Amino acid sequence: MTSSGTRRLAVNGAIAALVLVLPLVFRTKSSIIGYLNIAMLYAIATQGLNLLMGFGGLVSLGHAAFMAIGGYTAAVLVMTYHVNMFLAVVAGVAGAGLFGLVIGFPSLRLSGFYLAVATMALGSSIADIIKRLAITGGDYGLINIPVLRLGGWELTSEISKYYFFVAILVVVFLVVRNFLNSRSGRAVRAVRDSEMTASAMGVNVAAYKLITFIFAACIAGLSGALYAFTISYLHPMNFGLSFSISLLSMSIIGGLGTIIGPILGALFWVMLPVVIGGKMEFLSTVIFGLSIIGSVMFLPKGLSELVTRIQTRLRL
Amino acid sequence: MSIDIFLNLTVRGLTTGAIYALVGMGIVLILQTTNVMNFAQGDTGMFITYLAFFMITTAKVPYSLVLILAIAAGAVVGLLVERFMMRSVRSRSHLSLIMLTLGLSLLFQGLAAFLFNTEPRLFPPLVSGDPIKIGPVILGRQDIVVLLAAIVTFGILYLFLYRTKQGAAARSISQDEYAARVLGIPTPSIYMLIWAIGSAMAGLAALLIVPRFSLEPSFMGLVQVKAFTAIVLGGMGSVFGAAVGGLIIGVVENLVAYQFPAIKDSFMLIVIVIVLLVLPQGLFGKGQQRRL
Repeated sequence: MTSSGTRRLAVNGAIAALVLVLPLVFRTKSSIIGYLNIAMLYAIATQGLNLLMGFGGLVSLGHAAFMAIGGYTAAVLVMTYHVNMFLAVVAGVAGAGLFGLVIGFPSLRLSGFYLAVATMALGSSIADIIKRLAITGGDYGLINIPVLRLGGWELTSEISKYYFFVAILVVVFLVVRNFLNSRSGRAVRAVRDSEMTASAMGVNVAAYKLITFIFAACIAGLSGALYAFTISYLHPMNFGLSFSISLLSMSIIGGLGTIIGPILGALFWVMLPVVIGGKMEFLSTVIFGLSIIGSVMFLPKGLSELVTRIQTRLRL
Repeated sequence: MSIDIFLNLTVRGLTTGAIYALVGMGIVLILQTTNVMNFAQGDTGMFITYLAFFMITTAKVPYSLVLILAIAAGAVVGLLVERFMMRSVRSRSHLSLIMLTLGLSLLFQGLAAFLFNTEPRLFPPLVSGDPIKIGPVILGRQDIVVLLAAIVTFGILYLFLYRTKQGAAARSISQDEYAARVLGIPTPSIYMLIWAIGSAMAGLAALLIVPRFSLEPSFMGLVQVKAFTAIVLGGMGSVFGAAVGGLIIGVVENLVAYQFPAIKDSFMLIVIVIVLLVLPQGLFGKGQQRRL
């Protein structure tokens, strides 16, 4: 192993150790761990969006809708029909994927603009649809959703959720990474770079776009289902167009087409308002807007490009 | 539904549709020439409307002057956006360009909320007074102004696109940008002109329609979604399509809201899915656009 390889291993080990030790450092400040948990949930959903936009070249302006579908499906199944929690999460993921199919099928055969508008329409009407349904608690939202339970172990404390989410996050990231390195993943990237070339190589462009879109919707559904059992409260307005734009912003700021971008983006998005302080919350919106513009113009790979530059500078 | 109610709903729907048409025409104008889907159209107008609000209420500037200044401010924003943001990333994917406009929209929303807080404000209408009664139809005066503005704007855009040299240049760019450059069309300045006109329309539209809502950082959000729906219905890439699509959406929305109030806000999703399945090129589209 070269010396730079050893060094990289040391850095990665240090990061892993930091991730595992962090909750113990903030043991007395469970609110900070709570924020980190939220950031991880967002990072999961954003990873789906990153797969879609960064690797698939497709845009979704209504990704929060898939989170809402996943969350509500899982929560209603557990609360009203007393379904096993694990199966409910699976159903939430499947429900989100199904909606992805309904929206993706008509719009993906056309240019990217149509997908943008169709997902935007979904994103802005999902809150209204949920509000009109009785089973979802309508305008009051769903309250007292049971806490996530694994076997006999209830995830009530923020610290236990933290470790659980770290595990889920790692699994999701590995699945996405392996998908991207598989034959299908290469096909997806080929479609992004040139549809014409891809189809000349025998890639079924429409099918791969649809697969990517459904995959991204499923990941958002998973994030939504976990969100429901973590926050224990769902309200339709939390999943409106503005939250979809937030998810999109996280993936852009973190760095599209990079595997760690979603984590950086979600951390930045959740932590900046905390750091700035409650009274100045709209200043963070200004900073987010500027960050997006700055990312697109000067740092196409967002914060993760910044990290890579620091790495090369320090020769890690 | 009696015929009177139907007439009222339809005509009022036309005035609502005129709102979507005004916003949609600006978006389509920019889209078809510069190939940028401007998600900041609504919020550009929103931010200008805030500035207009303080000019009218605090500085007591006459309304007509404010209207002209708002249009000019929109044009300036458009020029700056094209010159300093779009130009340097034009060669990248349309996704990057969309993301830039999303960032811009977030920036305007954040600035408005940060500088002026999110409290809803009542914006005075351009014309006030009792509603006008035409036969069985009752119409607010500001609604008539919006409808007239949409018609006049459409007329001006039509004359610009089909009767001026710059308009012809813009249309030729939308057909084939490379060929247009080869023929000696100064594409950068046409892009700037189109951005200026499109964003000027954002300022005009927001200022005219804000009295129907209340002035807050999010007031253009839903309007913009419906304008995009109108664009898809009209066939993406034709100003005429956006105008007619907007009017149709407005009328259908009003009728649907009366008959089936439950699906009032989600019906545009239904419209989009149906249009994409049945009529993907829209009402007036010329088939799939090649440049996308």
